[in-house]
Amino acid sequence: MGYTNPMIEIRDLVFEYPGHRALAGINLDIVDRSITALVGPNGAGKTTLLRCLAALETPYAGHVTIDGLDTRQAPRAIHARLGYLPDFFGLYDALTVRRCLHYAARAHGIGTSDAPGAADKAAGRVGLSDRMEQPAGALSRGLRQRLAIAQAIVHHPKVLLLDEPAAGLDPQARRDLSQLLLSLKAGGMTLVVSSHILAELEDYSDRMVIVDHGRIVGGESIALKSGARLRIRLAEPHSGFEALLRAQGAQIVEATSGQALVNASPDPAQRAALLKELVQAGFAVAEFAEDSSALEDVYFARVKADDSGKPGGQP
Amino acid sequence: MNPELQRNLWLEASPFRLALILGLLLLVFSATSIAPRGLMTTPGAALTLYWFFAVLWGTRSAALSVVAEIRERTWDGQKLSSIGPWEMVWGKLLGSTAANWFGALLCLAVLLATGGGGLIYGVILLAMGVFAQAVALLSSLVLIRRNTGNWRLDAFLCQVAGIGAAFSYYSLWSSIPAFQRSGTQSIAWWGYDFNLSSFHLVSLLLFLAWALIGCWRAMRAELRFANGPYVWLAYLFYIAVYSAGFEALIGQRLHIPPGFHPTTSKLVYAGITLLASAYSMVFLEPKDPVRLRWLSEQVQAGRLYRAFLALDCWMLSYAATIATGLLLAVIWAANGSDFSLTVLAVLGFLTRDIAIFVLMRGRAGGRGDFAALAILGALYLLCPMILSGSHMQGLTFLFLPTQPATLNLVAAWLEAGAATVLALHSTGLINRSRLQ
Repeated sequence: MGYTNPMIEIRDLVFEYPGHRALAGINLDIVDRSITALVGPNGAGKTTLLRCLAALETPYAGHVTIDGLDTRQAPRAIHARLGYLPDFFGLYDALTVRRCLHYAARAHGIGTSDAPGAADKAAGRVGLSDRMEQPAGALSRGLRQRLAIAQAIVHHPKVLLLDEPAAGLDPQARRDLSQLLLSLKAGGMTLVVSSHILAELEDYSDRMVIVDHGRIVGGESIALKSGARLRIRLAEPHSGFEALLRAQGAQIVEATSGQALVNASPDPAQRAALLKELVQAGFAVAEFAEDSSALEDVYFARVKADDSGKPGGQP
Repeated sequence: MNPELQRNLWLEASPFRLALILGLLLLVFSATSIAPRGLMTTPGAALTLYWFFAVLWGTRSAALSVVAEIRERTWDGQKLSSIGPWEMVWGKLLGSTAANWFGALLCLAVLLATGGGGLIYGVILLAMGVFAQAVALLSSLVLIRRNTGNWRLDAFLCQVAGIGAAFSYYSLWSSIPAFQRSGTQSIAWWGYDFNLSSFHLVSLLLFLAWALIGCWRAMRAELRFANGPYVWLAYLFYIAVYSAGFEALIGQRLHIPPGFHPTTSKLVYAGITLLASAYSMVFLEPKDPVRLRWLSEQVQAGRLYRAFLALDCWMLSYAATIATGLLLAVIWAANGSDFSLTVLAVLGFLTRDIAIFVLMRGRAGGRGDFAALAILGALYLLCPMILSGSHMQGLTFLFLPTQPATLNLVAAWLEAGAATVLALHSTGLINRSRLQ
């Protein structure tokens, strides 16, 4: 994939439940200080993949390396380096927010004297500083989500894995969550987030990985956050279309012989230069415009293409 | 302070709860101290309440210290923490039962202060309380691997296991005078006489130590540490030696034929204990088909030591039983005894039964263990009863160890072979087509 500094390396990962192969040979690199979104239908293998990354499950075959450590050989060292929020998380409802965070800090190896400070800091990062004396059981769904995330980040992990963190949140809470995730990335964390809500992934994700039937659709992740995207459509399909785009250095999200979606440069001059090159090369450009609603199109196009490539899949 | 202990103290030992227990106990002991003779005495009430706090309620608290984490979906968070396995075990064991021990220790103090027993009796009661709670915690750690999804039933079963362990030991203790040599107050073990009370206390403390080691080992597995087989092998060696030591004592009581050489008698008792451990563990452990396939692949790839390190307890118990049985068979065969055929038949039936557990687990998941129990019930009870009722008692050799020895041996191993093939098929070791 060309990354020089992958925080997470997954090689030929296979995981089986009795009678069912949940992950069927996943290969993926996730770069340091990035946010990668895992998307896919229910039962695709996203949660299993996250649990393998968290060293909570032992793979049947293949390897997962986090920060240079193999999950099979050094699971406890990996646990110390990551935070994990399961899809159905739990809290100690009878404890106050302060005690929940204090326990999380102590449980992650933070000393007795430093734990109160770590708890205060984590609460501050998720906006719970004014709720420290409230019992966790008295918090709303959105606030419980924040507390769970605060518990997961109280020890400043290098990697944060979040399974469906936006599920059940109202629009404001989702926006807050997006901002929180971006701030955690800015603080140096590598995040992997599984989500069903495609429309919001672009707000915070750098790359998207589509998981289906235990495999990565298309075999690689898709770049997302590089500014706006351009939809380029040709009046007539041309076999050299994708090659020319690559030659021009365009970051292709998806491409066929008739249309392409590329990450657009914020510089208008560069966009103009790309259009000029296309026209000069003889491509009949019918559309050259920013596309803000294309992520779902990309998702469905990829899944459809993948299905049609499988034996028995849709043509 | 151990963070797990501290969290449990926050949750379980609130000042209000402790004050409530103290107030209730003051009321009870005040009432018993002024009650007329013939009603409950103060030592009697203290002993009863000790059992309630330490065993009846304590086992539930200990079991819930793990089961409730599953119920509340906080277990993954604990597994990802930096808390070590031993720290986690004693944090849960002492923390979750803190309120219980507050009440239990008050009762114990009253019991000893009012002449309800001596110091050794107090230590035995104390150890028995910890033993019951440790067994309940260990049971919960074993049960969560089975992933039943029914936390109420799990907690109840763990509580029953803990209470059962305490009551079994208490019953054994109560029944020991019937076994002891007349008037000596001693017990024979491996040909040596030991003071009965001391032997009892040391035995209890050793089993308590093993229960705690079991908790530690099970917690290690939960926290993703590799366990290896050596601790379980050491435990098997311990229980084999421990039970073999009672050969003379039990042999006398059960009128074992004098033709049994003392050495082979010891091996028989060790073998029976190992056999019981094999059946217990194959029922309790998950027998995950994926894991069995993984182990098979390690063996096929020549990674034998890696496979050995990953063996489950039931596999080790089975191997130890087979080894002990073969040793017995060789000894008896050398002496021209037919017992050699019987013991080989027992091994065949054991192999059949183990294969049935694996087979049913592969077919029916977690419920398969109960289905396997039902099948074994039919094989060992119903089928022989039907044959007896049909005046075909001669065919019972098909289902359980009996005479004629040669036919029994052949039937046992034919059934073992058939069940093993079916089990290998169900786990995908023979046919991978079931995997989708």
